[in-house]
Amino acid sequence: MKFLRTIAVAAVASLLALPALAQDFIAGIPRNEALIIQGTPAQNADWFNVWAPGGGGAANVNGLQQLSTDTFWFINPEGGPKAWQNALATEPPIYNDDFTQMTVKLREGVYWSDGVEFTADDVVYTVQTLMDHPGMNWAAAFGVNVASMEQPDRNTVIFNLKAPNARFHALFTVRWNAAWIMPKHVFEKVDDPLAYNNNPPISLGAYVLHSYDKGGNWTIWKLRDDWQRTTIGMDWGQPQVKYVVYRAAGNPEARVIEQRNHNLDVINDIAPEGMFSIMKDNPTGAAWLSGFPYAHPDPTLPSVLFNTKKAPFDNKDVRWALALLIDIRAVALGSYRGAANLSALATPPTGSAPDDYFVPMQDWLTNFELDTGTRKIKPYDPNISEELAKMVRPQWGDQIPTDPEQLKRVFGFGWWKQDVQAATELLQKAGFTKQGNRWMKPDGTPFTIRVQVEGDAIPTLARAGTAIAQQWSQAGIDAKVDVAGPTNGQRLGSGDFETAIFWTIETWGGHPDLSFFLDSYHSEFIKPVGELQPPRNLQRWEDPRLDEIIERNRKVAFDSDEVKALGQDFLKLAVEEMPMIPLMAYNKFAPFDTTYWTNYPSIDNPYSASGPNWSNIRYMVVSLKAATPAAQ
Amino acid sequence: MHGFLIYVLKRLGQFLFVVFTGVTLAFLIAHFSPVDPIEQTVSLLTSFGNTDPRSVELLRESLRELYGTDGSLLEQYFTFWGRVLTGDFGPSLSAFPTPVSTVIGRALPWTVGLLTLATLLAWTIGNLFGALAGYFRNNRFLKGVGVLVMSMQPIPTYIVGLTLIIVFGYLWPVLPISGGAQLNLEPGFTWAYISSVLVHGTLPALTLVCVGLGGWFISMRSLVSNIVTEDHVVYAELAGVRGRTIFSQYVARNAMLPQVTGLALTLGHVFGGAVIVEFVFNYPGVGKLLIAGIYAGDYSLVLGVTTIAIIAVAAAMFLIDILYPLIDPRVKLG
Repeated sequence: MKFLRTIAVAAVASLLALPALAQDFIAGIPRNEALIIQGTPAQNADWFNVWAPGGGGAANVNGLQQLSTDTFWFINPEGGPKAWQNALATEPPIYNDDFTQMTVKLREGVYWSDGVEFTADDVVYTVQTLMDHPGMNWAAAFGVNVASMEQPDRNTVIFNLKAPNARFHALFTVRWNAAWIMPKHVFEKVDDPLAYNNNPPISLGAYVLHSYDKGGNWTIWKLRDDWQRTTIGMDWGQPQVKYVVYRAAGNPEARVIEQRNHNLDVINDIAPEGMFSIMKDNPTGAAWLSGFPYAHPDPTLPSVLFNTKKAPFDNKDVRWALALLIDIRAVALGSYRGAANLSALATPPTGSAPDDYFVPMQDWLTNFELDTGTRKIKPYDPNISEELAKMVRPQWGDQIPTDPEQLKRVFGFGWWKQDVQAATELLQKAGFTKQGNRWMKPDGTPFTIRVQVEGDAIPTLARAGTAIAQQWSQAGIDAKVDVAGPTNGQRLGSGDFETAIFWTIETWGGHPDLSFFLDSYHSEFIKPVGELQPPRNLQRWEDPRLDEIIERNRKVAFDSDEVKALGQDFLKLAVEEMPMIPLMAYNKFAPFDTTYWTNYPSIDNPYSASGPNWSNIRYMVVSLKAATPAAQ
Repeated sequence: MHGFLIYVLKRLGQFLFVVFTGVTLAFLIAHFSPVDPIEQTVSLLTSFGNTDPRSVELLRESLRELYGTDGSLLEQYFTFWGRVLTGDFGPSLSAFPTPVSTVIGRALPWTVGLLTLATLLAWTIGNLFGALAGYFRNNRFLKGVGVLVMSMQPIPTYIVGLTLIIVFGYLWPVLPISGGAQLNLEPGFTWAYISSVLVHGTLPALTLVCVGLGGWFISMRSLVSNIVTEDHVVYAELAGVRGRTIFSQYVARNAMLPQVTGLALTLGHVFGGAVIVEFVFNYPGVGKLLIAGIYAGDYSLVLGVTTIAIIAVAAAMFLIDILYPLIDPRVKLG
């Protein structure tokens, strides 16, 4: 038994020796010079060609599109009055009267990281190369728009369009990404730009590739010595962050632990529970909101989508009845544990939208009348934020604001009152009957609904779908949750769903123009069920009044005052027709660690949105301040 | 010798049949997946950016042509076999145009290294303690080990992994909980890199050992418990042979035979990856690659991984069949 004792002693000794195995977190780079951001595992880690689909999503979002690329303009969703940012262009787009020509004036003194100056040659080369290679990203979009290009001097490019398009500049305007400019002097030497991995990439941003893991777990970017010769350097000054590390930090639990161990400064998106845990127990944790619900509302609008080409969801009375059966408080608690920013309007309540749409439309919403067939009701509840606050206050106490106006910015401006009686009247108006506690359709068969959710990939929306299906079931409808997993996108596109919890509305965030999603809602793009619908109008909502709004918006300049009026027309129509039930903004839980870096964006200092895979994150990277003197 | 040759040829035929059937099934299952790689790529490219609806259909057509997903199932099946026979699985659709073999080649060493080490550790420790527990049936320490090992065995792998992450990553943060090696470390045969790989592999390996230990322990204890009651062991004890000699030469050695077979079969599985462990620890191996391939509808990649796994398992079985008559004289040929 001496042998067994030896083994036991060896095991204990091994455990005690574990701390000696600790290594520096990043080899060769001082931790206080590096900002560590949650990245995405990349299968094709060698791939840095952002213009070709080779890297899938991961290759582009691990710093490539955020730190090394540039284009004409950015719209910073949280930029307030400075939301519009000229980047490679010196001024906003210049259109001719009929929007068939767009002129861009380019900035001088911008250089690629290999010392070559950026000029109009790069722009013309980019667009022409993409159009010449149909498999490349943005190729098709340029192909359908661009007739020819002119280059009157090295700092001016004129795009002649095939047809009037007042939103052509959107192709070069970054929200998440946009058509990035290629280095002509690199790609013109390449035989096949589709098969070229562009490794190492020549950068037009303030950072350049330093090193990467061939296994796809991390990518490190280093501040350029000549950062002053980039647009971000010119406009925002010297960045203090010398290295940016994008690392795949494992499962959600591991991410929380890594941040608490100060090995992950920025988490992209975790479930509410992870966020609450960090903010409760990590004294160096920070977030967009310093108190509950902590999250940043992204300009994305999770909703209950109806397949309006499938009966009975083609009937607006049915859609409205289903909306009025929802107790949104329970959905907010079930999905986001109360941390939801509700929206009754078909635009996310974030960025400039509260001031552009939600505040001006409160009277209209409050006075909006719905005809149930037997009476008229006013379904809007402008005080829902106070009710939500009351529900979460026992847990979060003083963190919940008491000012009603502030509550509206955190929990939403209002939503629809749950009204089972009105829903009953609407269903009866639509020819439905009730047998016992079961609703029957006009043809006498039971009213069944499949509520499609993606599943674990977006847990908050899966929970919302479950809560809504339960509420519909309680009202006598046979509603079941249908988890689609990786087939979710395809099924939504081909119309293989009845209802779904997803989003078909995304906006610029920092600008009232709704064309970002709205243009694709035109009936000319609607495909029959079974064929693949272009993204956005997955509910296949068709209405001549909608087409009219879209057609008018196409002829209006981006910054025209009429844009907001048209936006309001659309939002009113969407309320009346209810083609989807807007639920809430996509609240992104992106906690920060302030051990090494401070001055993260927040609602009190809203210079940038906080999603690290968005290209706008570049504003945050260059604005951070070192928390320790060594890195200054 | 003639009998052995016929035996080998029969087993070779079985090996080829298993590989053909397995790979064909994998091909069909992968191609009947409802996930379309074209749509996954279109979704990636259009999800968050500004998307002109007119351009989406053009993009779809271009990608279909680019990825070569046109053609009937039969045509694709023959093309696939042609590629398999030359060791080329074509381009990965989710990492286009990088060849599948390159993508798998990057992940395979991580998985093979981790699983081989963990399997050998679990096998050695499980068999050692199983044999001791079977032989020294009244030893309290070994009874305790038995209870511990058997209570760990039914715990799902991800629970064990997450528990280890919480213990060694949070409560007592002494080991890395994610990745294969230190960030920004140049791969190579240097002590810095090798030690980093070992340290990063500790928790994933420990998870696999904890989960795998029970099976080996229980089976070995049962085998030994039976053997110790056999006549030759009783006779040896009565003849005054030393206990250590009886244990190592008369008992454990006889009990090892099925365990060696089991080890070879288990090692054959290492090429398929440890999906859950790699996911929990974000380990850059084949298992994680396989899941990513399934989600992306990248059937080239899925087929590449599964084909290698099928061939490896079938090859391990074939080798055992060939070696068994040489190890165990009770196996008769012909």
